[in-house]
Amino acid sequence: MFESAVQIVRFRSLLATLTARELKARYRGSVLGFLWSLINPLLLLAVYGVVFGFILKPGRGEVDIRPYAVFLVTGLFPWVWFSTSLLEGAGSLIANAGLIRKAVFPAELLPLVSVSANLVHFLLALPIAGLALIAGRLLGHPVGGWGILLLPAVVALHLPLVAGLALGLSALTAHFKDVRDILTNLLTLLFFATPIIYPLAAVPSRALRLVLKLNPLTPYTLAYQQTLFQGTVPGVGIWVEMAVVSAVGWAVGAWLFGRLRETVVEAV
Amino acid sequence: MSEGGVNDAALTVEGLSKLYRRATPGDQLRTLKSALLEGTLTRGLAPERAIKALDDISFTVAPGEAFGVIGGNGSGKSTLLKVVAGILKPSAGRVAATGRVAALIELGAGFHPEITGRENVFINGAVLGLSRREIERRYDDIVAFSGLGDFIDEPVKNYSSGMYVRLGFAVAVHTDPDVLLVDEVLAVGDEAFAHRCLRRIRELLADGRTLLFVSHSLDLVDDLCDRVLWLDGGKPRLLGEPRRVIDAYRQAVAEEEGREHRKAKEGSGAGGSGLSDEEADGLRWGSRRAEITAARLMVGGDGAREERYHLESGEPVTVEIDVVAHEPLEDFVFGVMVSTPRGIEVWGTNTDLAGYEARLLEGDARVRLACPALRLGAGDYLVDVAVHTRDGTPFDYRKSVFALTVTARDRGVGLYAPEHRWEAEGGVDWRRDDPGGTSR
Repeated sequence: MFESAVQIVRFRSLLATLTARELKARYRGSVLGFLWSLINPLLLLAVYGVVFGFILKPGRGEVDIRPYAVFLVTGLFPWVWFSTSLLEGAGSLIANAGLIRKAVFPAELLPLVSVSANLVHFLLALPIAGLALIAGRLLGHPVGGWGILLLPAVVALHLPLVAGLALGLSALTAHFKDVRDILTNLLTLLFFATPIIYPLAAVPSRALRLVLKLNPLTPYTLAYQQTLFQGTVPGVGIWVEMAVVSAVGWAVGAWLFGRLRETVVEAV
Repeated sequence: MSEGGVNDAALTVEGLSKLYRRATPGDQLRTLKSALLEGTLTRGLAPERAIKALDDISFTVAPGEAFGVIGGNGSGKSTLLKVVAGILKPSAGRVAATGRVAALIELGAGFHPEITGRENVFINGAVLGLSRREIERRYDDIVAFSGLGDFIDEPVKNYSSGMYVRLGFAVAVHTDPDVLLVDEVLAVGDEAFAHRCLRRIRELLADGRTLLFVSHSLDLVDDLCDRVLWLDGGKPRLLGEPRRVIDAYRQAVAEEEGREHRKAKEGSGAGGSGLSDEEADGLRWGSRRAEITAARLMVGGDGAREERYHLESGEPVTVEIDVVAHEPLEDFVFGVMVSTPRGIEVWGTNTDLAGYEARLLEGDARVRLACPALRLGAGDYLVDVAVHTRDGTPFDYRKSVFALTVTARDRGVGLYAPEHRWEAEGGVDWRRDDPGGTSR
């Protein structure tokens, strides 16, 4: 599991180049180009905002989640980064089969490029969250605060989890194509099992709350919501949980990849 | 320096084997399990489920040596190159290379179609292990070598296949490789570029770099390589001096073709009712009052004639025609025609032209046309044999009754290869450095 880390450090400039290539290639030929990085999350936000803010009003617990769009944005954008990275990362080895079958190429870079390219999209969408926070303040809601300064730390802790899972899933998918379909459905389930569109405190049953708390993705969402939406400093417990989950996620993913590395070329 | 005992070799291949797993539907879960638990897709696999792409290959290549690999399709050449390049993991054995290994396995591998040639050069260079600064230093050389000009700033998807390979080759040779692996890509570029590539490869070789070269172009392999390995079904068949290995390979191919040809001939059968395949194909016509039942090529002098369909230019040959006359004939002419597969008549003769006056042809007979030295240029030829009347009415005309392959030791062009030598007087100073070619 350290071999993947070593490879990343060794090929960091290649990773940067490939990420730039990925971003450039994605928008080449489209009229709006990089603006899509802003438009996509805005549209997504509009859809979720209307559906869950107006049609299915979430129950309000002791936590104030007004304005709802601002609450939603703080959990949704990191989730989009997470889920898109995993989905694209899982298919990345197969999509680049031509490359790894015909050239000596550090295959771990491919899923990581999906992660880093989507991280750039996530970071580009953050100003929208910032604007939403300002708008919320102007409307008189007590959103935002100094806790936002800890956001980089949350992202930095989140990154090893996303990268590790993308690595492991990419190698698994290369050998076992069904992984991608399983993953798609699993991500949908996880989306609703993570307190993104509703606050954890609003969950009525204690048992259900406990289940949601056991979801390893929950501490990240809570950390994003606390640093961004509430502007507070997340508690020590959340930091510890994130550190443990990320360490395990990276270790498992990188181990899986290392285990399957030799057979990937023949399997894709 | 590589680990192990071999100190001088730039490239060492020892007992290399590579198994592929035969694809079976619904096998993916097992594939995953085997990959996870054993780190290979093929360990413990029943022999009928595995394909042996490489079987116990060993050789070493010295610095500055050009090593060629030849063999038919599916003989394992490309797999060998991929294992040496480190793309594939060997099932058994090991590969040790000294220094930087640059592989040109397939054109445009590693090129992203949506972005420009310029950006691709940097990505490709990085994949080959160069830092950005190193690539920047070589960038102008690479572009100049590729001859792409302004196209370098176009997205690669707009490139022709020739441009792809030119750029790929330009990057590969400018990465300063210690070992260069080249698989068949030179055939794609135009003549001028192929020459530039060869010049560059020779420069690298002169500089002590090592080349592993896979190609179907036997002349190129002969020209470029110091030693050649012939792979046959993943097994090493012959390793040695290029001329010898290539000749043996050509001979084997011609023998195989001859076997197929004879099998096809036997399959079509002689006589019988209805039209034979040959007749249906327009390859045989005539009244059949006399019938050619077989025609074969015998190669060798009087003492040692053997039936074969590949020969060295200048070898003695005999065309043997078995004929059966269904009635006594007093007017008959035997003829033989040699032509190229494209239908250019190379040489034809018949007994009438040669001045033989027919008296009687009756029952079974065998006619031979002996030629003490058949000096054809290298290439493939088709032979027609016929028996007909003096005015040309055919009893039995059999077109392309067999094919033959001629190889020539010197590399002259054309259909005719007479015995010859070069002489000079006065201010000419030259040297012949090809001992293989002086033997004739």
